[in-house]
Amino acid sequence: MSQARLSKHTPAKHPKPALPEAVENQTMAPMVEKTKLSNLASKLLGWRMWVQSAFLLVWLDPLGLRLHTICSPVFHCYACPLSTFACPIGVIAQFGALHIFPFMAVGLLIAVGALFGSLICGWVCPFGFLQDLGAKAPTPKFDPPKWAGYLRYAVLIGTVLAVPYFFGEEHPLFICRVCPAGALEAAVPNMAGQAIAGQQIAWPNTVKLTILGLFLIAIFFMKRPWCRILCPLGAIFSLFNRVSAFFLRFNADKCTDCKQCHKLCEYGIEPEKRPNDLRCNRCLECIRCGPGALTLGSIFEETQTHKSTFENPERKS
Amino acid sequence: MPRKKTKIIIFSLLILLGVVLLTYGAFFHSTNVLPEQENGSTTLARSEPALVKEVSVGGVKRDESGKIKQTYTGKAPEACPT
Repeated sequence: MSQARLSKHTPAKHPKPALPEAVENQTMAPMVEKTKLSNLASKLLGWRMWVQSAFLLVWLDPLGLRLHTICSPVFHCYACPLSTFACPIGVIAQFGALHIFPFMAVGLLIAVGALFGSLICGWVCPFGFLQDLGAKAPTPKFDPPKWAGYLRYAVLIGTVLAVPYFFGEEHPLFICRVCPAGALEAAVPNMAGQAIAGQQIAWPNTVKLTILGLFLIAIFFMKRPWCRILCPLGAIFSLFNRVSAFFLRFNADKCTDCKQCHKLCEYGIEPEKRPNDLRCNRCLECIRCGPGALTLGSIFEETQTHKSTFENPERKS
Repeated sequence: MPRKKTKIIIFSLLILLGVVLLTYGAFFHSTNVLPEQENGSTTLARSEPALVKEVSVGGVKRDESGKIKQTYTGKAPEACPT
């Protein structure tokens, strides 16, 4: 690290502004030591792509198990020739069309969400991984406006819950009929298989193909466009971010206001203001921040959590 | 400390809710499904895991009368038609 960069994090050169009494009291508490969990997270951070690749082996059914009686907690189409489990969003939508409550899918999402929140999106989801790979391309990247993140909830309520329930699976806005994951992971390989076998190709509808085309372009010019703007599963997991067992912890005592975490965050979030923001997909890049003010915490840790601030009340926007 | 306690309580309740729903769905919940050729034959009770597998290949549909009906006879489709 260069001297200039080091000095950027030196509190003496960047004194913190005066804080309200409540925050001062919190910052006077002893510093949070790095826990085993945060150390592990720091070590794993450089291996995130490999962790995602390892999980890919779980979702891509290398053993040909086709366990489609069980939902996975990730966004991976069950019509994909290589899918181990059923897609929870597809199952919820299809059950909605049948007017049956999907106990298993909802139970799984609540349990996994309560444990990990959006950590699933950042580290486990194969569709997120695909977008991460697309983002590696040296192309200019654009950020969507902040409000675009709320479209995910519209997609969840509209195409996953309301449309299937009121109009059934034949409706053109039924999630599976517009889903780019379905188009890419199921329609494309199935069409290729049909072409190779010399059979007549069953083309998906135009809307689905258009969305797939837009998605494939967007992943090179925006980081995780599907996750940030439209993913209904991410919308569900994000709701758990504030209460999940594993969460992002902000320690005001260590923060030097260097704003390095703003630069590290690829999603335009200000982690020191809202470490467990709904838009965060817990890639944990922000824990690289020099002063170590952001760490991965868990409610299972016994001694440290009460000494830190979960969120900085003074900085809340 | 109270904040941590609240978090633990909320987390525990959510985990409990998730596990209860998961267990109920996996072991106790079933739905009656009519065969494709409706000839007055009895309906078949399908467990939720079996129904998850059926919906993943487009094997069941809800007809106009609100009954769940199988979309095939014999071999199940290989993939979801959507």
